[in-house]
Amino acid sequence: MREETRREAVWQFLTYAFVLLGAVVTMVPLYWIAVASTLKESEFLSSTSPRLLPGDSFLANFESLQARQNVQFVGHPGEMTQYIDLGPFYFAYDFWHLWDMGAMESSIFVAVVYTALSLLLCSMAGFAFAKYEFRFKKPIFYAILATLILPIQLLVIPLFLLMSQLGLTNNYWAIILPWAANPLGIFLMRQNMRSIPDALLESARMDGATEFQLYYKIALPTMKSSLAALAIILFLFQWNLFLFPLVILDQGKYTIPVAINQLVGAQRVYYDQIMVAAALSVIPVFLLFLFLQKQFVSGILAGAVKE
Amino acid sequence: MSGITLQTVRKEFETGDEHVVAVDDVDLEIRDGEFLVLVGPSGCGKTTTLRCIAGLEDVTDGTIAFGDDDVTDLRARERDVAMVFQNYALYPHMNVRENIGMGLKLSSSMTSAEIDAKVQDVAELLGIEDLLGQKPKELSGGQQQRVALGRAIVRDPAAFLMDEPLSNLDAKLRAQMRTELQTLQHDLDVTTVYVTHDQTEAMAMGDRIAIMNGGELQQVGTAEEVYRSPVNEFVADFIGSPSINTFDATVEGATLHGPGGFEYTLSDPSPVEGRDRVRVGIRPEDMTLVDDGVAIDTTVLEPMGNENFLYATMGDQELTLRVVPSARPSPGDTVEFAFDEDALYLFDANSGAALKTKTDAGAPLVEEPEEPEVAE
Repeated sequence: MREETRREAVWQFLTYAFVLLGAVVTMVPLYWIAVASTLKESEFLSSTSPRLLPGDSFLANFESLQARQNVQFVGHPGEMTQYIDLGPFYFAYDFWHLWDMGAMESSIFVAVVYTALSLLLCSMAGFAFAKYEFRFKKPIFYAILATLILPIQLLVIPLFLLMSQLGLTNNYWAIILPWAANPLGIFLMRQNMRSIPDALLESARMDGATEFQLYYKIALPTMKSSLAALAIILFLFQWNLFLFPLVILDQGKYTIPVAINQLVGAQRVYYDQIMVAAALSVIPVFLLFLFLQKQFVSGILAGAVKE
Repeated sequence: MSGITLQTVRKEFETGDEHVVAVDDVDLEIRDGEFLVLVGPSGCGKTTTLRCIAGLEDVTDGTIAFGDDDVTDLRARERDVAMVFQNYALYPHMNVRENIGMGLKLSSSMTSAEIDAKVQDVAELLGIEDLLGQKPKELSGGQQQRVALGRAIVRDPAAFLMDEPLSNLDAKLRAQMRTELQTLQHDLDVTTVYVTHDQTEAMAMGDRIAIMNGGELQQVGTAEEVYRSPVNEFVADFIGSPSINTFDATVEGATLHGPGGFEYTLSDPSPVEGRDRVRVGIRPEDMTLVDDGVAIDTTVLEPMGNENFLYATMGDQELTLRVVPSARPSPGDTVEFAFDEDALYLFDANSGAALKTKTDAGAPLVEEPEEPEVAE
């Protein structure tokens, strides 16, 4: 008995040590970015004595980032020179003239619109694949999954041609639409929605629900935690998108990854500015995670059907 | 309110290469306000039949009518029926009030105040008015069951469909809910189709019982009819607990020869005329221990308090007897039993169709059993 207790304690120690190691490996780069953003370039690039504690140069770094000619990182009150062009949605014109958007606002706007649209499409497709029978269901599903293996480098040129034919070059829709029906999202929603008991949907049908009501009155509310998890995945996917925005957007509309790329100059790399930009770019993602965290409560389906 | 008529309803499934006939040309008439129990072993098609009535499955062939209205092509939500599911299927993200009110919200033009009042009434009827604010996962099995019932009742549907609604409750609660359901159905006077695999439940609850096997409807009748006058060996075997004892016998004139030296001469040999083999059936409760009957060997005695179940062998044939509690033979003892010819069942050796059922003075036969196939 004692022997077993000891072995258990050893295992517990090893487990914690492993998890701690994982946490350190994940956290150190983030810490380094946060610290470096507050230091002068010479302080954190020094090969003899790099500083590991925060300094007081954050504002100075930020100001030098904002002062750049080729990158507008965070926007400022508008001089009526920029607007968001979303095709038919010109109602946004005047509103957006009030603020000159920088990369931060562009990224947030694109990621939020993308996440909302993609959540809608992925959950509807996932629901159909999980709970309906139709012809060629399996081939269609596998075809969607198969698109996951296509690397973005392969898609850049055909997508560019497609978007320019649609008249969407230098338009935010060009980086939203191609991934709006996200295959990973469809797969995840389908897997999760399979756990919705058929009886639950049937009982709603008996109660007089239409098929669409099944989706938004039963499936969506019971899938809250999966939707929250997927929202983060989708938001991050769009947030990190680099190559295609670089190709299809012009300088004034750059998103954060593309904007950071501009900080690598021909003569020198502006590490201090990159560190500030990187540190700032973490904040919206961090806030989103905090906001959605409380949705990650499992067991929403508990009590639906008696096992 | 209306009766339900099924005409040659057929349901076939294709699963991969398999072709399954789940419901095989069922004709059934459920009367207005009747409590009809569909009973049968698992896989007999009873639940599929219920789902066809509900509109959750399309029928392959045949028609379903509520009263005079053909509803065969209507979807579930257009049929005005309510269903109670085996696992209750409560909406997990809604509280009890919303669960019960959902049907009215979706399919009626009532205002939310009217819905609330209606929900309140139903909750009081079921004794769950204190639970209206709770979520399903906070409720006990019995309370969840009541919510599921409330959801069905609140809509005043043309019919209730219940798919083994009591099978997830413990024995005591099940017995209590059984009577409660019957009272409720009687008070509401709504046509009810109730599916169960439990023949005791079927006998206890149904105005009439419809017995299914292999997708085919075997017999429809009151509990007494199906018990006393089963149309075939399957019904005789399925109805009654413990099950009827059946065995093969050869016929010589009016005399039946069975396993282990069983021999019985019929006073009325007409049912076995022209046959050389039959199946013999005797219910455990019709067998009495005597001193000069058929000899059998006791294997197990189960004392039940008010009676004893005696398990015995007659040759290689296993038998069950319901005997008085004072009879306590030990395992290995040889005892002898007798029975009344009126209580004897005879079935066709091949088709299982009934040749003779109970003819004692219990109750008059309602229907003549079908013309049995003649043995070769």
